[in-house]
Amino acid sequence: MATVSQLACADWKETLQYHGFLTQGFVLTSDNRFYGTSEKGSFDLTEIGFNASLRPLSRLGISAQVLYRRAGEMDDTEVRLDYGLLDYTVVSLDNLRFGVLLGRYKNPLGLYNETRDVAFTRPSIFLPQSIYFDRTRNLALAFDGGLLYGNYTSAFGDVSLRLGAGQPTVNSTELERLVTGINGPGELDDQTSYIGQLLYELGGGRLRLAASGAALNVKYQPGLQDRFGSGQLRFQPVIFSAQYNGEDFSLTSEYAIRPSRLSNFGVFPDTQFTGESYYFQATYRLTDDWEAIARYDVFYADREDKHGNDYEARTHQPGFTRYAKDWTLGLRWDMTSSLMLRAEYHRVHGTGWLAVSENPNPRQLQPDWDLFALLISLRF
Amino acid sequence: MGQRIWPDGSRVNVFVLPDDNPEHKAFCKRVLGMFAHQLRQIWDRKVFSGTGQAPNVVTSPEEMIERVGHTPGAIGYVQPYYLNKPNKPVRPVIIR
Repeated sequence: MATVSQLACADWKETLQYHGFLTQGFVLTSDNRFYGTSEKGSFDLTEIGFNASLRPLSRLGISAQVLYRRAGEMDDTEVRLDYGLLDYTVVSLDNLRFGVLLGRYKNPLGLYNETRDVAFTRPSIFLPQSIYFDRTRNLALAFDGGLLYGNYTSAFGDVSLRLGAGQPTVNSTELERLVTGINGPGELDDQTSYIGQLLYELGGGRLRLAASGAALNVKYQPGLQDRFGSGQLRFQPVIFSAQYNGEDFSLTSEYAIRPSRLSNFGVFPDTQFTGESYYFQATYRLTDDWEAIARYDVFYADREDKHGNDYEARTHQPGFTRYAKDWTLGLRWDMTSSLMLRAEYHRVHGTGWLAVSENPNPRQLQPDWDLFALLISLRF
Repeated sequence: MGQRIWPDGSRVNVFVLPDDNPEHKAFCKRVLGMFAHQLRQIWDRKVFSGTGQAPNVVTSPEEMIERVGHTPGAIGYVQPYYLNKPNKPVRPVIIR
């Protein structure tokens, strides 16, 4: 007969799980660049992730994921710690649970941010770019810090609240280019930032309603002989999300409002502007293995100047770089439960969410363009 | 759903049949009130954000009874007729 301690020991070792995914995409655009030199056809869309998790105690979970990602010029190609966290359950009652995450955790922003790099969990090859920008994704992706969570379950639905604080993991030059217009001698430095989400779910997720918000703070540290001062960037997105999941039919819509403030850069006066985005999305399961999607996605960099007319008059740069309206149609085929193929077509008016690092000369951009993409993804 | 700890403090170990198994689909729909692909989405979100673990997947009702019977804190589901043989190592909770 085994002793209790032996049992407990064998028990926790058996909780080790590992999972992963490999995704490769192909992107072709009529004009403009997205995920590499896409006007010639680009394979610069690769996502490889591997994670492991363990529950050494019934109240304690440990998990970490590494991610390798290629995204054209939008991001540095490297292997990163995507998340690495301790999850401690403080209170666990029949209908109430409280806990805390410590370490690097993915931010609960909107419906898709936490697993945005896992193709199987996305509704389409590219997430709606108006809200889930791929060009500045790192700013709101994950925090190094702590997050408190609480779940309440009742016959009238489940409510969960998550509140976190930490340092964003910014390391992309794209954000610096967006703020200063150049990749200058200075550096962006993360400062303590905050995240929160209130989520209501009915019928195990048949209806999902969420409000998420973040206050993201980044400081610009001037380099030697820098013409910019030690500026401050405050970015405060708020996202409202609604989703209905029927047996074959899903409807999703999200609306985001994004106040931004740039101060103390010196070269340009302190500025404030508020971006606005929304999309409507419908997916339909044609069979168990085939799914179709249609989406209309709208992005405005400045809600006071939606079509960039003032911007064009002020900067002599094209106004269509300040908005984008994207019609998407796509198909998903789950060949097996672990192998998926996708194809999708976008007709886009405006270039508002394209990356400056991939399209350095705005005068070469085309306001009306097409995007076609293919993707294969494997998971285990 | 989402519960990780039993009232006695032990770990919850969930066992399920594969996604495309008809009994799994029926269980999701009748007992959980959701569709099998939704359950998969829910656990994918947890597994790939580090906030939860995937259920253990077994290939047959016989394996379900065997694994649930010999794993501390385990819970699973089978059709009642699999439990007709005597000396099964599981304690059934009948759901109508």
